[in-house]
Amino acid sequence: MRIILIGYGVVGKGVTTILAQKYAEKVKDYGFNPKIVAISDIDGAVINPRGLSPEKLEAIKQRGYPVSADPEFGNPGMNALEVIESVEAEVVVEVTPVNIQTAEPALSHITKAFKTGKHVVTTNKGPLALAMPALTELAEYNNVYLRFSGTVGGGTPMLEFAKRCLAGDKIKAIRGIFNGTTNYILTEMSQNQVGFQEALTNAQKLGYAEREPSMDIDGFDTACKVVILSNWIMGKKITLKDVDRTGIRDVTLQTLDQAAERGNTIKLIGSIDNNKPTVKPTEISKTHPLCVSGVLNAVTFSTEYAGEQTLVGRGAGSIETAGAVLRDLLDIKHKLANRMLNSNSESYK
Amino acid sequence: MKLVMKFGGTSVGSGANIRHVAGLVTEYAKNNKTIAVVSALSGVTNSLIEASYHAQRSNEKHIQAFTKTLLAKHTDAIKGAITSEAIQKEVTEITEKSVAELEKILTGICYIGELTAKSKDYVMSFGERLSAPIVWGAIKDHNAQTQWFTGKDAGIVTDSNFGDADPLMNYTTHLVQERLEPLLEKNIIPVVTGFIAANQDGIVTTVGRGGSDYTATILGVALQTDEVWIWTDVDGIMTTDPKIVPSARMLPQLSYQEATEMAIFGAKAMHPRALGPVSRADIPIRIRNTNNPKNPGTLITKESQADVKEAAKAVAMIKDVAMLNVYGATMVGAPDSYAKVFDVLGKNGINVMMISVAASEANISMVIKRELLGRAISNLEIALQEHGGIISEVTAEDDVAVIATIGANMKGALGVASKIFSAVAKKGINIRMIAQGSSELNISFVVKEKDGIAVVQTIHEEFNLGKP
Repeated sequence: MRIILIGYGVVGKGVTTILAQKYAEKVKDYGFNPKIVAISDIDGAVINPRGLSPEKLEAIKQRGYPVSADPEFGNPGMNALEVIESVEAEVVVEVTPVNIQTAEPALSHITKAFKTGKHVVTTNKGPLALAMPALTELAEYNNVYLRFSGTVGGGTPMLEFAKRCLAGDKIKAIRGIFNGTTNYILTEMSQNQVGFQEALTNAQKLGYAEREPSMDIDGFDTACKVVILSNWIMGKKITLKDVDRTGIRDVTLQTLDQAAERGNTIKLIGSIDNNKPTVKPTEISKTHPLCVSGVLNAVTFSTEYAGEQTLVGRGAGSIETAGAVLRDLLDIKHKLANRMLNSNSESYK
Repeated sequence: MKLVMKFGGTSVGSGANIRHVAGLVTEYAKNNKTIAVVSALSGVTNSLIEASYHAQRSNEKHIQAFTKTLLAKHTDAIKGAITSEAIQKEVTEITEKSVAELEKILTGICYIGELTAKSKDYVMSFGERLSAPIVWGAIKDHNAQTQWFTGKDAGIVTDSNFGDADPLMNYTTHLVQERLEPLLEKNIIPVVTGFIAANQDGIVTTVGRGGSDYTATILGVALQTDEVWIWTDVDGIMTTDPKIVPSARMLPQLSYQEATEMAIFGAKAMHPRALGPVSRADIPIRIRNTNNPKNPGTLITKESQADVKEAAKAVAMIKDVAMLNVYGATMVGAPDSYAKVFDVLGKNGINVMMISVAASEANISMVIKRELLGRAISNLEIALQEHGGIISEVTAEDDVAVIATIGANMKGALGVASKIFSAVAKKGINIRMIAQGSSELNISFVVKEKDGIAVVQTIHEEFNLGKP
């Protein structure tokens, strides 16, 4: 399977590491032979239509930015859209930075991939948060797959769990902690009695929070995940503007103490049910399985037959997210194999 | 309120009409977020199609004569619609540029001698590309802020089914909101060309059947407007053709389903295809008269009007049809015999409008367009009658008309059919064929064409359709 990698940040590097391993292992069990044929970053691209070897990938990683500096296969100045248009491949892996204002440039990368008949795996929440109904429609129209398990739960397969393991069951509601940074801050505040600002500074020191932390603490990141779950699992056609969102800036030690007296604590909960999807600090019981601490994520699916199911795991991290990309690539590979073996069947979904 | 207003060909038929339309839009836009959708000037789309056929036949002389007339027609409209000389000049420049482009395209078609569905769509798109800037200029002339868009630039993305394209509704919603919503926030009136859009690669498509109405309903759904107004030259949808029954009355409210039934029967309403997006999103449509803006028109919504006593709401006559009867003893009990009959008709491009079959299965009656009758009989005989085929005989009557009685309240109401048929029988008129779908919204039957008017009048009276 030939892969174009767009974006060479931490996740992008994680993807090359994992794929180089798999390439070297030649994982015959999966019949999966991933070849990265191009990597594109902001200044250009490195392209080898026959696949960049593990040694070459390692050399590119060692040299660092920009990837187009490669003496053998470098293409300085070539932009991502040109790469997607001109390089032959089955899949585009889109791992550029998140932009929740316009979703660009990722949105253009993904639509370009669809138009040129390429499947897409992305870990980028921006395009999905702003245009998920449009993107799923375009993928279907162009007969390609769009996969994004790295966008929710990181390494924890929340989307696949709901979609596959709970197939046939009716999911009535989804509630979860989808952001490790805010969960770390709230945990610090309640367990170590530090104020919001101090907890935030600690999180920044540990690299859990960005220097510009609004995306996390104002609940945008959680809201993006709520949008993705609503569309993919609950079939609702919504985008970011449809989510009621409150961040954790106004959570005080006092409110946490009051909650603790009732045996509860406060978590930033994203929830989807029959009402408007919401993100807001919510009091929950300390004994509820959803009540996880530190940077962990957790999700509870309330289903018609199976009752409540809770999944807990690490929500972020470059190698975890890259692992999610690998899962998506394998999923596409299986779907493509089925398609080719049953070429007269129309069931592409 | 947030409104999409669509203006048909006659509403923008002349400079004076365009000026009037611009006045209406400007007036409503004072208190409502308003989007205008415009058709081509009346007659222009047909002349463009004709010109493209001339070009295909390599008739180069015709091109220049045609573009000259086209330019003159639109220049006239500009002068009639816009008073400010500066705006006139601006719109004239756009128009001249578009006509020059059209001339190049027609010349290209002429040299290649080939007219594809794709290039035909491109040629047809000029009708609206020429009318929209004039409406835009006229609104500007009324001192309102406005901006004009082609359907493509407004963000309507369709599949690549040229000539009859359908929107990718979610993608369209995304783009249209992104492009038009900021304008509406600033009270700028977007003027959008009806009928034309583009596929995902930006190639011009047209939405075909349903035309500009379809564009209006697509935009209504994408922008989640409160209503979509279809401005035309009639007051609304009538109980029947006022030429047949002078007491015919405008219907204040209809359900989407009723409107669909009416449209099929040629009432001056909308193509059912255009109703699709709004009925799914539950956005009401209002049919209004440009020449009588005080009249509220017909509202088409999810609910049928509740306070109507009579079961039937409207009655219509379809002329120029023929009844075709297919007989064959071997059809009885043979599972695929009907399929074969309709397969033959379908493959020969013959649309069946109405079907009636007796449980004996020994014959099928159907109604088709009269002009297709000869072809239908001949093809059925060739395919299915020879060599011991399933058909023994095909007969036809070409002097018939279909009468349709429509109304949502007919559903579950007892005695509607008996009321219709006894009224017709009292006039001594014989009914040739009957069909009622299980939706019960519509009872259709066939009578001799000479009796058609009397039947419509009788039913209109029997159900008191002339009284509000």
